[in-house]
Amino acid sequence: MKFDRKKDINPKYLLLALSIICLILLFLSVFWGERVRPLREFVGKIITPMQEGVNDIGEWFGEKMEIFGDVKELKKKNAELQDELNDYKQEVDRYQAELQELEELRSLYELDSMYPEYNMTAARVFSTNSSSWFNEFYIDKGLNDGVYEECNVLCDNGLLGIVTESYDDYAKVRAIIDDRSNITAEITSTRSLCNVEGSLKTMADGYLLVTDIDKDADIAEGDKVTTSNVSDRYFYGLTIGYISEITMDSNNLTKTAKLIPAVDFTDVKDVLIITDRKQEVNY
Amino acid sequence: MRRIFVLTILILVCFVLQTTVFSYHDITGTAPNLLLILTMSFGIMRGRKEGMLAGFFCGFLCDVFFSSLLGPYMLLYMFIGYINGFFHRNYLMEDVMLPVIIIFVDEFIFNFVIYVVCFLLRNRLGFSQYFLKTVAPQTLYSVLITVVIYRIFVSINRYLKKKAQE
Repeated sequence: MKFDRKKDINPKYLLLALSIICLILLFLSVFWGERVRPLREFVGKIITPMQEGVNDIGEWFGEKMEIFGDVKELKKKNAELQDELNDYKQEVDRYQAELQELEELRSLYELDSMYPEYNMTAARVFSTNSSSWFNEFYIDKGLNDGVYEECNVLCDNGLLGIVTESYDDYAKVRAIIDDRSNITAEITSTRSLCNVEGSLKTMADGYLLVTDIDKDADIAEGDKVTTSNVSDRYFYGLTIGYISEITMDSNNLTKTAKLIPAVDFTDVKDVLIITDRKQEVNY
Repeated sequence: MRRIFVLTILILVCFVLQTTVFSYHDITGTAPNLLLILTMSFGIMRGRKEGMLAGFFCGFLCDVFFSSLLGPYMLLYMFIGYINGFFHRNYLMEDVMLPVIIIFVDEFIFNFVIYVVCFLLRNRLGFSQYFLKTVAPQTLYSVLITVVIYRIFVSINRYLKKKAQE
């Protein structure tokens, strides 16, 4: 009997009840965001091991598939790379000599090295936001490994994003191309400040916009854009990308440029996280 | 009881697949919205109540992982599941045309709501561009996947029905 009664609930009332639950949760998370954190942690503990497991299986298959790749092509590539390597070896020798000279000069000037060394830890991406509206992903290191909110995340050759939520064993990262992202940056050649805005619309064509560049700044295509000292979240000197096209704004005071990001966002597997933090947040 | 268990597993599997395999290491890429397909399928196969409940829990997972607030995706998925439930009585088991049309409309509504809440309210105008570059690929992807996955859901549903009658 009891079972029957349960089945007879009018869907309308159930909809109303569930909507009220949603609204209560919504209010809770708007006004007391920390209160719902245990709920997120609990669900995350169940789901993330599954995602990591599926990811591991995928990687295993990927490796197995690569073995069946074209051997001829690989051999050809290997020869090419060997040539390239020899070139680089020579170059490195040359640079090393120059570096020595530079260090001597620097010690004369008593300058610190330009870019300070940061403490870093490596992590693996195990899940990404499937919706194409947002560019977020999860990494498999969290509070236990010293990855806190607002830690900077790097990929092989540039800035990738910033940690927005951090839990015990995993953390959520927002990429710099996400529509909600905004970075105070500088153009290295002239050290002029600018803003790098993440944007879904422009990223569909493969570039981001650099805004608020001073009109007198003498910048050119191909200049490197890095994070600046002014930013209170991003460390100094991390490469964001390279300028490709410069236009004057209609207000005649500032310039806007296109920026090609240094990171390939379509294939992000392993990332580096700077475990130092620019601002200490109390936990 | 068996039905609840199977549905829970299905929701988990769909969520994990959607967030790992279908968007493998690609941050900019798009993936079919398996959770929406699941909500839609159970809405039209089983009626308003089950569609609504499936949507509720699908939305809950989405909220926990990809939203700064708890609730918005839950409401969205739940209402889509509820509305899809109205098509229950016109439903023919083997017909794939109806679910394809419904998922098409669902995806459009789903993405339109996200656009309005997360983009239009932040002064990101020009829906046509967003539609072409973001909404259309995802909708197409989901529609194609529906053709395959819907049949799987139908056979799972048939199996559950048979077990319940025994």
